[in-house]
Amino acid sequence: MIQSLRRQAKIYGAIAAMVPKEYSAYSIWVWMQFIVQILSMMIFVYFWRAVYADTRTLGGLDLQQTINYILLAQILMPIVETRLIFQFGFMVRNGGVAVELLRPLDFQGRFFIENLAGLGVFAIEKLPLLLVAVVFFGLQLPTDPLVWIVFLISLTLGASILFLFDWIFASLAFYSTETWGLSVVRIGVATFFSGALVPLTMMPTWLQDVAAALPFAQTIFVPVSFLSGITPIANALQVWLVQLAWLAGRLVLSGWVFRRGVREVTVQGG
Amino acid sequence: MKRYAALYWYFLLQRFKILMEYRVNFLIGASSTVILQIAGLLTIWVIMSQVPNLNGWNLNEILLVYGLLTLSKSITHMFADNLWTIGQDYIRSGDFDRFLVRPIDPLFHLLADRFCHDGIGNFLIGAGLVAVSTAALGIAWTPLNLLYVVIAVASGGAIFIALNLITATSAFWIVQSIPVTQIIFNTHEFAKYPLTIYPRAIGLLMTWLIPYGFASFYPASYILGRDVGALAWMGPIVAVVLLVVGYRVWLFGLRHYASTGS
Repeated sequence: MIQSLRRQAKIYGAIAAMVPKEYSAYSIWVWMQFIVQILSMMIFVYFWRAVYADTRTLGGLDLQQTINYILLAQILMPIVETRLIFQFGFMVRNGGVAVELLRPLDFQGRFFIENLAGLGVFAIEKLPLLLVAVVFFGLQLPTDPLVWIVFLISLTLGASILFLFDWIFASLAFYSTETWGLSVVRIGVATFFSGALVPLTMMPTWLQDVAAALPFAQTIFVPVSFLSGITPIANALQVWLVQLAWLAGRLVLSGWVFRRGVREVTVQGG
Repeated sequence: MKRYAALYWYFLLQRFKILMEYRVNFLIGASSTVILQIAGLLTIWVIMSQVPNLNGWNLNEILLVYGLLTLSKSITHMFADNLWTIGQDYIRSGDFDRFLVRPIDPLFHLLADRFCHDGIGNFLIGAGLVAVSTAALGIAWTPLNLLYVVIAVASGGAIFIALNLITATSAFWIVQSIPVTQIIFNTHEFAKYPLTIYPRAIGLLMTWLIPYGFASFYPASYILGRDVGALAWMGPIVAVVLLVVGYRVWLFGLRHYASTGS
């Protein structure tokens, strides 16, 4: 039992260790995203300052809260841009999926670990951006370490929920080869309803209802609200429970969808 | 010139034959950008419906700025999308050498090689925004106004193409030019809103160095009767100058092109 657990840990550890290497192989893209994100932070800051020129609060938030929220949401936004459906689509097209399924390793578990390791690399990679936001754009971060812990747990839960959603979504690649169009639609919907562009509290009720019915807010709006001081950490337990409920629901659903979808795979040679 | 027009038409026809082979993909591609636009527009609507104005610009005026920019952007998207992928799709594979041995201009060949239907959705969104916002603002579509908008959009499109051309030329040295293009291209986001909300330095940058301001803010100001002086009329001049500079840079790059040898 212990032996097998250790073996498992070793395998997953090796998979997780691959992720930073993959990232560093594409350093020019990392730089590009760094600059592009600074540009969009700049635009957002000036835009929101102009918005607040004639008003003190909007959706219950004042300018500083909104700036905090928007800057953090902007930094985290790339999380909602998934690659999973491309990976699935690619594997189906080149036949790699057959090999992957034969490996003596849980297919979903492998991708989940990769995803979590990716989140870790992502968090470290975004630290310079956080610094830029604090120094140049007036981002005010909480000093209480407890807030950070609450945020990180909530973010991990949120990223896991999104991963499972994408698992379900990517299983569509087993049915349709039109993965690009699907993913563009998915990114558009996710970007808006995750609250990456505008805090969900500012939206009219009907849009807030739609956002609440979708999982994307769990990944950006919910964790960022802790860090920007919108949600007090006294609510942490309650928020986590909601996130865990989302997670459990997605877990069951994703397993079911995948088992059905994978039967439909027609591997196109390879 | 006539020969090139005929050739372009021929290329376009071939391209549509390919696209029509995959009708569903064509429709999804052409409409997918619409989804992304809707997210951005909903954001503006959510915010602007709660505040009276943005630095003196109301929702419809902002939408006009946004619409003009989207129209100009769709021009590059439709007619010059290959400038994005010249490095990874043509130079790396050695396909670019094919253009050099043909009896037509290599740049023309590159651009004509792939009309990008994904830009159609953006074009329709931009045109819709301009139509709806001007109607709501009670702006009359006199022939002069119409001509002005057409020229402004064409100039804006040319500015987009020229800037992408300059950054794409880097592919002759570094092959993968997308990151370079992306950084300069992304500054167009500044021009989605009236340039007056930014500090003066950004306004100057968007006017004289990376002049996306001529694709949105200046023509919108003119249509709305806001005084921006001679800048309301300078778009076409800036576009022509930038195109000439861009083509020179391209020729310079072409002279330094050493095939990847694949």
